Amino acid sequence: MRKIITFVTVIISIILFYFTINSAVDVFYADWQIPETTADHSIHNRIVLITRELDTPFWEKVSEGAKDQARNEGARLEVWGSYAGNQEDFLKQIDIAIYAKVDGIIVQGLGTDEFKELTKVKAASHGIPIITVANDVPMEESLRKTYVGSDHYLAGELIANQLIKDMGTAGQVIIMKDSKEQYYQKQRLSGIQDVLVNYPNIEFIVAESSESREDGVGTTKDLLNRHPNVNAFIAVNATFASHIVEEISRRTKVENYHIYSFDEDSASCLLLKQGTLDAMVEQSPKRMGERSVSLMMKWLKDGTEPLELDGYHTDIELVKAADVQ
Amino acid sequence: MNSLQKKIWVLAIVVLLIMTVIWVSLTYYNQKMQDQYNYVLERYLTLNELTSTSQNMITELNNYLVTPTSDHLELINTSKKKIEILKYDVMGHRNEANELALANYMNLIDSLVEATDRSVRLHEEPSSESSMIILKEATHISNYISEMTLTLIDLELKTFDPFYRGIITQSEGVKKLGFLVLSLIIILLLLFTYWFSIRITKPVKKLTEAASYLSKGRFDVKIEVDSRDEIAFLAQMFEQMRVNINNLISEIRQKAKLEQELQQSKLLLKESQLQRLQSQINPHFLFNTLNTLSKKAYMEGSEETSDLITSVADLLRYNLKHLDKNMTLIDEVNVLRDYMEIQKARFTDRLNFYVEMEETCLQVEIPGLTIQPIVENAVMYAVEPFEQGGVIWFRVKDGGDRVIIEVEDDGPGMSDETITQIMEERRDSQKGQTSGIGLSNVVKRLRLFNGCETVMEIESKVEGGTKVTIYLFKERR
Repeated sequence: MRKIITFVTVIISIILFYFTINSAVDVFYADWQIPETTADHSIHNRIVLITRELDTPFWEKVSEGAKDQARNEGARLEVWGSYAGNQEDFLKQIDIAIYAKVDGIIVQGLGTDEFKELTKVKAASHGIPIITVANDVPMEESLRKTYVGSDHYLAGELIANQLIKDMGTAGQVIIMKDSKEQYYQKQRLSGIQDVLVNYPNIEFIVAESSESREDGVGTTKDLLNRHPNVNAFIAVNATFASHIVEEISRRTKVENYHIYSFDEDSASCLLLKQGTLDAMVEQSPKRMGERSVSLMMKWLKDGTEPLELDGYHTDIELVKAADVQ
Repeated sequence: MNSLQKKIWVLAIVVLLIMTVIWVSLTYYNQKMQDQYNYVLERYLTLNELTSTSQNMITELNNYLVTPTSDHLELINTSKKKIEILKYDVMGHRNEANELALANYMNLIDSLVEATDRSVRLHEEPSSESSMIILKEATHISNYISEMTLTLIDLELKTFDPFYRGIITQSEGVKKLGFLVLSLIIILLLLFTYWFSIRITKPVKKLTEAASYLSKGRFDVKIEVDSRDEIAFLAQMFEQMRVNINNLISEIRQKAKLEQELQQSKLLLKESQLQRLQSQINPHFLFNTLNTLSKKAYMEGSEETSDLITSVADLLRYNLKHLDKNMTLIDEVNVLRDYMEIQKARFTDRLNFYVEMEETCLQVEIPGLTIQPIVENAVMYAVEPFEQGGVIWFRVKDGGDRVIIEVEDDGPGMSDETITQIMEERRDSQKGQTSGIGLSNVVKRLRLFNGCETVMEIESKVEGGTKVTIYLFKERR
């Protein structure tokens, strides 16, 4: 009996001792650390990429490419921006970037006066170079160093040619653009128009709407009422693609219409996969990110050599619904 | 300072040590926690202070622009200096995660200071309109700074999230550790105290037991205490006392035994003297009468009768004279011869007596009247009852350090019971004994004389004779 009690006591002591030691080690050698303070050196090549559509896969790819390139070239890149095309926020971010004295700004071009004021006057006066990406604002209006992105005029041509292929040389086409005079939309539009002009049997209507869903849907409704025989839609601003599809699907089969768009919008990609969209221009967002960063770095390293003022065009490709399905 | 005290000290020191260790580690841990909290909190506080200072500066700038006094300018300059100092502090909080945001923040502050400077400078010139524009710009920057502060704090929170969680986990760990240490210490202290108390009380208990044995008079139980303290010393002393008492008691017992023996031998002597006195009734008359008888028989020509009577007289004389004295063996043998003469006359041919003696042994001392009773016994039991008579052998041999005297007969022998009775000195029948001295008496006297127990052996077989052997040591002990 005595032996058993001794044995049990010893065992309990050993177990307790083991757990105590374990616990003590856990407490005194905690594996977390205070983040280390970095040495006091100034950071070079601070580049900011600012966009209005942080939430789209298109811009995700742009920033991914930019980040990769920045890592390779030793630049410190930050991606700022607003969501869902919020312009006020977007402009504020540019303002902050200028006051924060970054070394370069890569920005999604915006065709508004406030944007032009910021880039032309403020950034220039602070000596901060600006490169537009994906969407351009002409050099004369923005004093940008260069533009990196798709040739939107060419994209418009591609869409127009595809439309003719699908629809034939006669028909009614509605082209939806937004109410802001965006330079890239103008380019696309002129690309489309320049092709369609050659076909006198094709009637095209250019409609304007704001980017909000209600307006988009409302405009589409209005257009369908006024032009019941329309054959095709082209969403110059990709946001409209889903609005158009939404309104059409309320009335009739979507398949009856030819609908075209661009790939900046996540909804567009989904619609293309569903076969609702007939075709879509696919751009190279990742390449845009890479290229813009490398050009900015080139400028920062050797400011004397001017960059191509017309911009550097990245590849575009027409993707048909049939290819995706 | 010795053991018991030392033991108590050890217990106290161990407890104190454990308490100290716990206290030190808890203090250390608390200090560490506090430092960490302070470290994190200070980041927020400096960041916040810088932001609010910059905002204050805008207010001061505004005041200055409205009422341009040197006081207000002074305030702006103080703020600027403060901002410089705080900037330096905030720079110390730079790390991998926040360095870009922090750089932006710093630059924003710089921009603000620059704008303020510009505004002040422009105000001194006549066109105060533009200074107001710059104030507006500065206000914008100040707002941006606030926002950036939020971003920074957000970043800090993200960076320090694992850190906070670590602290919380550690706090829980400490709580657990506290419980474990407490239970461990309780168990260990209980064990230690148990062991400790046993070490003190066990020897005391043993000592108590030993004392109770002693008080009950048991001095043969050894007192053993195997500790190394005062109790052990006490036990040792106790043990010594016990041994001493034990020795004393055994000495006293021995003495008492000796005294008893002495008393006994005295009693025996008294007894034999009394018997002699009884048989001393007018011995001179008896001797004279016997002598007269002897002479008369001689004159009447009966020489044999005369000799016989002389022998009887000698025998009687010897018996009366030498009972309480030590004689030599030769005297004993002479008396034996007289006695045998008389018995020969009585039994004639029926008694065959053979003597073998080594003459060298005859000077050994022997208590008086030792051999005669034995031979008489042999005659009584081996010769007298039988018509055909019997044979008695008497031998004296040299046995090295002792003389061996044998008396052997061919009689019917003795029973074992009788032998035991004789050897245990119980039976002392004096029936028919000439000297009135029985075998038991002989054995007793021989034992006293020799000072040891082995003085006589009796070998006897039923119908096979009896052999009595006496040992006499040449050197008296």
